[in-house]
Amino acid sequence: MQDWWVITGITVAYLAAVLVIGLRARNTGTSSTLEGYVAGGRSIGLFVLFFIMGAEIFSAFAFLGGPGWTYGKGAPGYYLMAYLGLGLLPWWVLGPRAARLGRRHGYLTQADLMSDRYSSRALSAVVAVVSIGAFIPYLTIQITGAGILFEAATDGNVPFWLGSLAAFLIVTIYVYASGLHGIGWTNVVQGIIMVVVAWVIGLAVANRFYDGVGPMFVELKERAPEYLTLPGVDGMGWAAFSSAILVSSLGFVMWPHLFMKSYGADSEKTIKKTVVIYPLYGYLLIPVFIIGFAGILVLQDRPLDNPDNVLPELVVNVANFSPWLIGIMLSGALAAAMSTGANLAHTAATVLVRDLVVAVFRRDMPERSVVRTTRYSVVGISVLAYVLALFNPASLVQLLLGAYGAVVQFLPLIVAVFFWKRATTAGAYAGLIGGSLVTVVYTFFVATPFEIHAGIWGLLVNTALLIGVSLMTRPMPTEHVERFVEGSRTALEEVPVS
Amino acid sequence: MSREKKIAVGMSIYFLVCTLAMIWPGALVANRIEPMILGLPFMFFWYVAWVFMVFVGTVVLYRLEHGGDR
Repeated sequence: MQDWWVITGITVAYLAAVLVIGLRARNTGTSSTLEGYVAGGRSIGLFVLFFIMGAEIFSAFAFLGGPGWTYGKGAPGYYLMAYLGLGLLPWWVLGPRAARLGRRHGYLTQADLMSDRYSSRALSAVVAVVSIGAFIPYLTIQITGAGILFEAATDGNVPFWLGSLAAFLIVTIYVYASGLHGIGWTNVVQGIIMVVVAWVIGLAVANRFYDGVGPMFVELKERAPEYLTLPGVDGMGWAAFSSAILVSSLGFVMWPHLFMKSYGADSEKTIKKTVVIYPLYGYLLIPVFIIGFAGILVLQDRPLDNPDNVLPELVVNVANFSPWLIGIMLSGALAAAMSTGANLAHTAATVLVRDLVVAVFRRDMPERSVVRTTRYSVVGISVLAYVLALFNPASLVQLLLGAYGAVVQFLPLIVAVFFWKRATTAGAYAGLIGGSLVTVVYTFFVATPFEIHAGIWGLLVNTALLIGVSLMTRPMPTEHVERFVEGSRTALEEVPVS
Repeated sequence: MSREKKIAVGMSIYFLVCTLAMIWPGALVANRIEPMILGLPFMFFWYVAWVFMVFVGTVVLYRLEHGGDR
């Protein structure tokens, strides 16, 4: 039997299992309301919530870009582990507050919260456009990742268009049918598979080429020590490294698909428990980094044009692993791409319909049609992202970078919602627009001063404008702003479900 | 100072230390290969260790805030 049949067989079996689990999750009876479809009826427990968050963070990037960092640059890749360790800490303070206000006022998205506090529907549209601008390229990258991995693992017998289509057709079906519940249970499975596969592959690669992880690093120390410390190769200085960690940690929970999960949590303790366990997810990067380091000496004579291909190159072409192992590797990597993609499609559709269509154009849309439109949007957005993946415009990564820079800029506005009564609508607009502009300019057009990450400059300008312009404009009514500052202080358990 | 305040200040300082250990200037002391620990170069191990310290901090914070109840 040919190898690629075994590989494809294992992977197809895996995909079928994910589909069945995703569809079975829909029997909860809450999926006919928007609240059920989006926030899972606010009844998602710790076990599921943990994997929802974990599996969605680890995307195709974990198996492609992650090893790419240590293979291409070396030690600068540690910034990924640092920010995964730190990134959820702000959530300890912000998450429960968002959940309290969400339950009290029926919010389902980040834009609900911001447009209510700053009394501006247009702000909802701005937040929605920025978020969707980040989500579609992000989703496209997942689809592209799935296609690349499928093609590489099967030696081109499953072409790019077919592999990516198969993986994302399944995602679209279960998100369409089961909403957040479908994502929850499939992510539990995909999260576990990802972790196991990453470790198995990482250790197997180190054993195959170096007799283990320890000997591998000893050899690297002798033959390529420059990879093992900062600034690494093709390097990253301390200012760039440190500020990248800071801005990524601060902005992490501003991603709408993470932020919205606070509205799905069943209690504050669940939110806090997620923060507790989360740093350990950074450890998934240990084997991922090991794979990248392994590539440095193995591929010394013929460096890869694109460092992100180091994992498929090593595992499929160089190591000569059994097809069974490659099939399992492919399933794990697809799990990473699909679980992230599912969340992105779900959130993007919710944001599009609720924050743009309903909030701005059709406030009277009945609940049933909102749910229906959201479902159709899941399909529409997935199709659009798939088409983009086929053409794979080079500007995609740039678009994602620019949009993420803007997403981080939500932070000062959100903090002010909970803590600063004096913030005004004009201040919010000035901060958000000014901060985003600074970030975009320093990301794409001008070298950033002192090599400090563009997002940090953006946050500084954003905060200064938010404070300055707010103080120059008339305060908003006291009872209005107290609703948010005082309202977010009362513990969730004491807030009646409206 | 109330108990809540003490917890908030104490844990904020703890997490600040964790953060500074992973960026400039804290991580400067770790920018080395030797000694290798658990087979990992020192800098790699440093990040693994501090991520664990963050985890320990969140466990302690959870216990302080919510006591023994789950």
